Amino acid sequence: MLVRVVHLLPSELASILERMPAGVKDTVEEIRIREGRPLEIGYEGGFYFIGQDGGLLARPEEAYKPTGDTCRRLLERVTNHSLYAMEEELRRGYITVAGGHRIGIAGRTVLEGGSVRGIRDVAAFNLRIAREVKGASAKVLPKLLDFGRRSVLPALIVGPPQQGKTTIARDLARAVSSGAWGHPAAAGWIGRKVGIVDERSEIAACVRGVPTFDVGPRTDVLDACPKAEGMMMMLRSMSPDVLVVDEIGRPEDADAILDACHAGIAVIATAHAKDADDARGRPVLRRLLEAGAFAVCVELQRGSAGMTSRIVAARPAGRAPTAREPTYTGGGGAHG
Amino acid sequence: MVKLIGAVLILFAGTMIGFHQASRFAARPRQIRQLIQALQRLETEIGYGYTPLPEAVTNSAAHLPEPIAGLLQSVSRLLAEGESEGLTFRECWERALTKHWPGTAMKNSEQAALIRLGSALGISDRDDQVKHLRLAVQQLKAEEDAARDDQARYEKMCKSLGVLVAALVVILIV
Repeated sequence: MLVRVVHLLPSELASILERMPAGVKDTVEEIRIREGRPLEIGYEGGFYFIGQDGGLLARPEEAYKPTGDTCRRLLERVTNHSLYAMEEELRRGYITVAGGHRIGIAGRTVLEGGSVRGIRDVAAFNLRIAREVKGASAKVLPKLLDFGRRSVLPALIVGPPQQGKTTIARDLARAVSSGAWGHPAAAGWIGRKVGIVDERSEIAACVRGVPTFDVGPRTDVLDACPKAEGMMMMLRSMSPDVLVVDEIGRPEDADAILDACHAGIAVIATAHAKDADDARGRPVLRRLLEAGAFAVCVELQRGSAGMTSRIVAARPAGRAPTAREPTYTGGGGAHG
Repeated sequence: MVKLIGAVLILFAGTMIGFHQASRFAARPRQIRQLIQALQRLETEIGYGYTPLPEAVTNSAAHLPEPIAGLLQSVSRLLAEGESEGLTFRECWERALTKHWPGTAMKNSEQAALIRLGSALGISDRDDQVKHLRLAVQQLKAEEDAARDDQARYEKMCKSLGVLVAALVVILIV
């Protein structure tokens, strides 16, 4: 969807990309801009170079090559003329702009005490156009309902990269937060407080702390915060019913998730793994699954027929769930 | 009678020209001082507030009198309008300077310092930005001292010179 990002591009670049065939303009997913090297786009899994006239080329020789001036204009635009305000983003290597689009950057890094402090002389950009798929979790959520607590079950979403794990997690957050449970038995349930710890700014795509994706009315987001620390902060400060985190995998993540579970919070996490069995092969995930931190595993697979999901029970047999039912009913004020 | 009216008019005009010149000498150090205040505010916004540049420029224009406020507001307006054209900060800054400079009492050396600053703002890290701003402030302070010297030397002289030249012209005509 070129229209969503064309306002970020310098006029020269925009006019070339505007001349691309209409079908490509609607489906473009990535725009790769490298100083003095051919302009490239990615759409529907394929990559093509772009000629001066906007035509798709398989070979780079005749492609349009952005100049240093164009790149500097682009950098100024995506940083809102304020590179100095982007120190953290430069350290991470990408900038998130309004609309959730992410611009990965590469260039010469600046080191401080041996670790990367930032990037200067930015010479390559990878503009990834964000797509928010509202209702992506509509098929999954009804199977994740926790009827005892009128909430959602703790779930681990697994799948290979690029299968839409984050999209599902984001939409789950939105649906749980707004109370769109999608199940006849849950018609009267209200939404739950959701906390998102968004280490890579991918779930909510915050710009200056405010989510640019719809993550629901009862959702709080800790943006660019390390997951383990962020989950503990959320627990202490925002009293969420549901915690959503992306890409767990470090040992400290597991500690934080177990803590949250024992506090009665349903954690929805995503992780790289082919399927639930594969997930058990990863030490951190294995530990979490064996401790019963997740009630179910959602396996995602994107094929020619679109996204398919399979839900498997994750708790080892005979173990009591860590999240218990409420001991009293009608309490909790708004949750009546 | 006509001669008398003419003489009065010449005297009046000469005096006014003298006062106008004198007021430019008085305005220059004042405007440089205000510019320094604006840049120091900008330094705080950038160095401690991480405020994005368009907003920082608008903030630093607040509470300042014309023509400095107009100059800075024009920069932030150009930044907002230039979105569609893809103008860089430097281009907006230079355009605003060219447009507003004749309306100020400041000279080319101050403008040169500002243009140098404009080519560095917004495109480097915080420490670097602060250094550039401090450098520009230092240059402006030197200009301010020079402007104050000029003021002390020429302000009164301009006023008397206006009257005296007018009187001379009147005497020559009569």
